[in-house]
Amino acid sequence: MTEPYAVAVPKGYRVGVWEVREPLATGAFGSVYAARRTAESTELPRTAALKFLPTGTATPRRLTHLRELVEREVELYRRLKQPRLVRMYETLTVDDPDRPELDGATVLVLERAEGSLSALLTAEPRPEAGPALLAQICEGLAQLHGAGWVHGDLKPANVLLMDDGSVRLADFNMAAELEGTHAYTPAFSTPDYTPPELLWTEIGERGRRIRPSADVWAFGVLAHLVLTDSFPLPGGTPTARRDAAAAYARGTDELRLSPELPDDWRQIISACLTRTHQDRVCGEALLDRVRAAAGTGHRSFRLPRLRPAHRRSRRIAVLAAGAALAALGYGITTWTGPGDDGGSKAGETRKVTPATYGASELRTDKGVPVAYRRLIVDSAHDCVQPEITPALIAAMLKVESDFDPDLSDPDAGEEGEYGIARWTPSILRWWIRADGVPAKETPRPPLTPSESIPAMARYLCFAEPRLEAGLSGDRRVLVAAAYRTSYKSVNNAGGVPPKYRDYAARVAHYLKEYTPAVKK
Amino acid sequence: MYSIIVVPPPTTEDERDLSQIRLAPGERLTFGRSAHDNDLRITHDGVSRRAGEITAQGAFWILSNLSREQTYVVENPEGAGEHVKIAPGRLDAPIPFEFSRIVLPAAGDLLALQVWAPRHDYLSGTGGLDGATTAPAFSLDRTKRYFAVLAALCEPRLRGTPHAPLPTVDQVADRLRPTWPAASRTSVQWNIDYLAVKLRLKPGPESADTGPRLNGKKESLVSLALRFDLVREDDLAVLASRSSGRVPR
Repeated sequence: MTEPYAVAVPKGYRVGVWEVREPLATGAFGSVYAARRTAESTELPRTAALKFLPTGTATPRRLTHLRELVEREVELYRRLKQPRLVRMYETLTVDDPDRPELDGATVLVLERAEGSLSALLTAEPRPEAGPALLAQICEGLAQLHGAGWVHGDLKPANVLLMDDGSVRLADFNMAAELEGTHAYTPAFSTPDYTPPELLWTEIGERGRRIRPSADVWAFGVLAHLVLTDSFPLPGGTPTARRDAAAAYARGTDELRLSPELPDDWRQIISACLTRTHQDRVCGEALLDRVRAAAGTGHRSFRLPRLRPAHRRSRRIAVLAAGAALAALGYGITTWTGPGDDGGSKAGETRKVTPATYGASELRTDKGVPVAYRRLIVDSAHDCVQPEITPALIAAMLKVESDFDPDLSDPDAGEEGEYGIARWTPSILRWWIRADGVPAKETPRPPLTPSESIPAMARYLCFAEPRLEAGLSGDRRVLVAAAYRTSYKSVNNAGGVPPKYRDYAARVAHYLKEYTPAVKK
Repeated sequence: MYSIIVVPPPTTEDERDLSQIRLAPGERLTFGRSAHDNDLRITHDGVSRRAGEITAQGAFWILSNLSREQTYVVENPEGAGEHVKIAPGRLDAPIPFEFSRIVLPAAGDLLALQVWAPRHDYLSGTGGLDGATTAPAFSLDRTKRYFAVLAALCEPRLRGTPHAPLPTVDQVADRLRPTWPAASRTSVQWNIDYLAVKLRLKPGPESADTGPRLNGKKESLVSLALRFDLVREDDLAVLASRSSGRVPR
């Protein structure tokens, strides 16, 4: 890191409840530091990333547009909370007249990441998990576009990798809310990721017009870089590549993607890097194709960790204990026959699920209905959290409804609970869509298992990393309790809240029962 | 997406023909006396049938001298005599200037073909050259006259009166005369027009037909420059020192 820091903050500096630790990164506008919480809090995590933006009146760079950039970013964070976007916990303003260079600076308190995609690519060009990472980046874009925003500056440095290896999009200085088909962003760009129609484009007084298709182009460039360690357009310098992009867009040159690309990815990247924005694939369709190419619907994947996870050792211990107990009943396997037990409700597609689907992770002899095996196993695999296993989801479905797809309990809570996962419809609305975008309308009962089960897995996947590290008990049971109440109540209670002990004990019982003795 | 603008020499029929030819990177423009082989016809007997070729090459351009005997001179009008000589037959000579005047010696007359390269890049902020840094979309050469003109236009608002009326073209010329003695209404207006091209100002709906009204253009330039901090208070130093005693800095 040879660049000077845009904002220099000494180690140990206090802002609000935060104590500044080591510097993490700097950009053209602000600098990011690690920080730890120094006071008790139930709302805030123990560590965070603080982004300092020099908006003070006494800073040497008295930049009016900087304020505007900061306002954009804060506005987006306030309004958009999506699983694939970095979260903002609070904003602070430095009040420190003794340090004129910091006084008045805006501080965004953000979710702490392990590193960025750009750091990962430096350490490991063509990462093995590339397709899975791209699928998650694409989900992030779909979430942004679905909510009516354009990122405007998608590049590896703005893709963050979290502790659990999942991906979040960050850095929304250039982001803009769509007005009709386009938005206005400040006139900044990163040359290698700028679509040709925005090269030297006209600029009005409100900035330049940008469409979601600009992010799609940037995604195409990024995907090519991740998969082949090279840019899609030829040239040794950004300027040469910019000229190549211009020549390509004018039609005087063809797009020649790296021959290393697999066919499905070649088609996806070509659909992103079209000459004109009209021809570019749009967010939803892109996401479907990227998911299919990444194979996230069928295969379990584990994203790379930049640092060994501290939680893993505990998890292995838990599994080993479970395995020892489960081993007692193992060896008397009775294969259930292929789906003849009311499987028609499992999903509209009526796939024939082999009775042994996912047998290495979910026992076949303990009464988990065959019709739901595929849904349960696939939903668990869609989550990167190792705690969210098929056995956990099956155990929870057992306790919630005893696998009753027609459960209807209108008297529970204010609006009732329905379906195999006992969803409250207004909450299900937030989790029903695979891309993380809330559904437009609250779903109405009956709620099908094909809606309920993946949504349950998505909620668990969201809640698990939000449970604090020091809670007592099996984290899988804790996250189940979080599903029944909320992750906040579990954090506040320091474990399973007393009211839900019985529920948790039953989940623990079935979890043990459904977990096979040996994990492949 | 153009990066180079060619302004043909004024023709005798229409002295004020300000047609501009825009070239995108990789595009070429041939010029000469013959009407068939050239994209730009220069009707003067002293000019070769096929006189030369201009090719946009990214943010700069290259010139080929296709004549057999004449040396072309490419001048930098703001460069205090700075120029490049292109010998007959020389192909693809790179031209580094933002403003250039190709002087074609034509039987006693000197015909000037202007070429502008408004997309030159400049280092910005802390960013390096790796292409991964978010860079502003504008690049201004702070030593050029257009920058002094822009600073003079922004001056009243930068000095602390946010809604101050903009100076007129004549006032700007007067303001700049101490450092630029040749400043005139025409040269200032030329620079304002050039800035609109350089900053890629979107023509407003009201100025679609280019009437004599130029207030809209000045107003847009100033609001863009202030909004994106293209001119800051420190930059007013490029103006003459006349009023500097008034402003504590």
